[in-house]
Amino acid sequence: MTVTTDPVALNQWVPCAWDGQIPVGGSLDTMIFGQPIHVQRTGEDSYRVAAVDGTTERELPVQVRYTCVFTTLGDTPRPLPEIAEFDEADRRITGCGNVGVNTSPYRLVENFLDMAHFAFIHTDVLGALDQTEVLAYRTEHRKEVDEIWAIDCTFYQPAASKAATGGQLTRYVYRVMSPFSVMLYKNVVTDPSRNDAICVFIQPKRETECLAYMPMAIVDEVSTVGDLIDFQQSIFLQDRVILENQRPALLPLDPTSELPTRADASSIAYRRWLKAMDIRFGILEKQAA
Amino acid sequence: MAIRLYDYSLSGSCYKVRLMLGFLGLEYERVQMNFYPGRQHRSPEFREINPLGQIPVLEEDGLRLRDAQAILCHLANSHDASGEWLPRDAERFGPVMMWLMFAGGELMAASAARLHDALGYELDIEEARRKARAAFRVLDDHLTAREIAGARWIVGDTPTIADVACFPYVALAGDGGLGHEEYPALRNWMRDFRRLPRFRAMSGIPEFI
Amino acid sequence: MSVARELWTGVALDDQIQAASSNPVILDGQALAVWRGEEGPVRVWEDRCPHRGMRLSFGFVRGETLRCIYHGWTYATDGQCLAIPAHPTLAPPKTICASTYPSETRYGIVWTKLDGGSNGAALPDLGPDEGWEPVRSLFVHAAASPVLEALLNCDLGQQGPVHMVAENAAEVEIGPELRVLVAVHAMDDERTALHAVARGPRAASERAGLARRLERLRDDIERA
Repeated sequence: MTVTTDPVALNQWVPCAWDGQIPVGGSLDTMIFGQPIHVQRTGEDSYRVAAVDGTTERELPVQVRYTCVFTTLGDTPRPLPEIAEFDEADRRITGCGNVGVNTSPYRLVENFLDMAHFAFIHTDVLGALDQTEVLAYRTEHRKEVDEIWAIDCTFYQPAASKAATGGQLTRYVYRVMSPFSVMLYKNVVTDPSRNDAICVFIQPKRETECLAYMPMAIVDEVSTVGDLIDFQQSIFLQDRVILENQRPALLPLDPTSELPTRADASSIAYRRWLKAMDIRFGILEKQAA
Repeated sequence: MAIRLYDYSLSGSCYKVRLMLGFLGLEYERVQMNFYPGRQHRSPEFREINPLGQIPVLEEDGLRLRDAQAILCHLANSHDASGEWLPRDAERFGPVMMWLMFAGGELMAASAARLHDALGYELDIEEARRKARAAFRVLDDHLTAREIAGARWIVGDTPTIADVACFPYVALAGDGGLGHEEYPALRNWMRDFRRLPRFRAMSGIPEFI
Repeated sequence: MSVARELWTGVALDDQIQAASSNPVILDGQALAVWRGEEGPVRVWEDRCPHRGMRLSFGFVRGETLRCIYHGWTYATDGQCLAIPAHPTLAPPKTICASTYPSETRYGIVWTKLDGGSNGAALPDLGPDEGWEPVRSLFVHAAASPVLEALLNCDLGQQGPVHMVAENAAEVEIGPELRVLVAVHAMDDERTALHAVARGPRAASERAGLARRLERLRDDIERA
């Protein structure tokens, strides 16, 4: 495809590499929104990103946060979200590399927001077949930050995290921070007063081709980095099969084309929000436009 | 007689070994490898364990083995009193070995396609998919002939390590953008395999059947 | 060969659709879920759960229901949603329904058509349904028209005439006592499936040999 002209999509910060992916002095070629970009690591903590069109390069803004290198093609991008947990001293801050997923970015966000699939896709880990009910929760459009939140979410989980030793009723808060990023807070197994923070930042390469980055800020003194990553990747690769087999891959915003229930309240709020911001990239109904 | 497995959950080759350990009901210690993004299998420390820098590696009683197919042979040879997982009669031994080599050879094109799509490995994806489809067809033709002969497994009347070795990358084909539409005999064989007692799924293979 | 939507097309061998299984089939670029309950006939549905678009060919069967793998939504054989596990006490509204296509099993082949109405030609009629043995399905990396042409000119051994019994099905006579019916199924512009069954006293004993000759035909078409 050609580069999207959708101003809403262009004015987002998106990841283009994970910190450490490129050796100092090295570089990689990748893509965002159909635009080829070149990412150079110029120093231990410094990167240079440029949009590449043939032989000409246009330098793009760069930020390194949440274990990722972010850039944007827009002139007035929506700021990156503030996630306080990543600044807490005792947190395990871990990225999981990135994982390719052939679908639209919105399918990833919706899957991340969804509790109803836990029993079927993450069986005996995040859900159990004899407890499939999704209890009522609330969704909010927080206008001051223009984010979608889902609060008061609870779900019975047999093994909620790497640190879990048995089942628990897990409390979740979900937070959609931009069209292409989402996170959750879930209560720590060993300390219910605190929350693990797990994010998904999406690099949309093309409309139905993404890279998913999963930075985490976890309270866990026991597990190795390898353990934490293995747990998170195992969950994500279970979801990936679903994501790549939803039809269509582009997200339909027409409320009659897919039939939600009460458990999908967060997805309904997300779609409504996407529709209101008039985003076109990766949206089914906007293809002819 | 402790068994230790250097393991990564998302590795189809490690999964072959986990399946076999499960079928044989063997306890084992799991050494978690940070394969991606850590590339721990390529670290100098791990190269001392396996100079090829590959997982799985299995250790038992001072024995240190690499290569999933070799490990399956070892486990069946040492721990399967029935002898059915690795039959020694001439009629079955050779064919089991043949399909075992196929699993570690031609079928690994499907692993390459998966590594490309999911973990961004740089390789010729169309070539990998073409080779994977060719391998799937060879196995589908074989299993079709087996269906016609009234049989279900790759060799003989019971599942063998050939089935264990071939299953993961056939089942995980979708992770590399390869559908199962063209392989009805593979689908039926996979379903039979998934219904075996002690079968365990892995990420990329749905739990319910 | 165009895929007329009102034409019955053979899409699978009945014998290869296991009890309690859901299977992916592509017909004219459209994804279908071809499934069978623990007993009963094969059904052909759109490969898409109306909830979140997940392919139902990944689903699992319990009794005579097909359940979507994503959230376990449960569908009866007429497509009606019976249960939504996220809301165990909710009776799903009648409007939640999977899209179904007509399906018939005849001569050991599962036939369907994308146009659900009663327009168009009837199923091929080769006499009584009994006595047909499955041979095998083949998937050829070529468009339907060259595959059909090759089929009309093929030699499956001691062969008599090949005649079309429908726009997308041919009957091959091999000697006086063996007839092979081949249904031709266009998956897309580049792939064509063949579903072969045989009838006659030698049909069962010749099955393996026929399957090999059809594999040779497939390979020859792809080489051409």
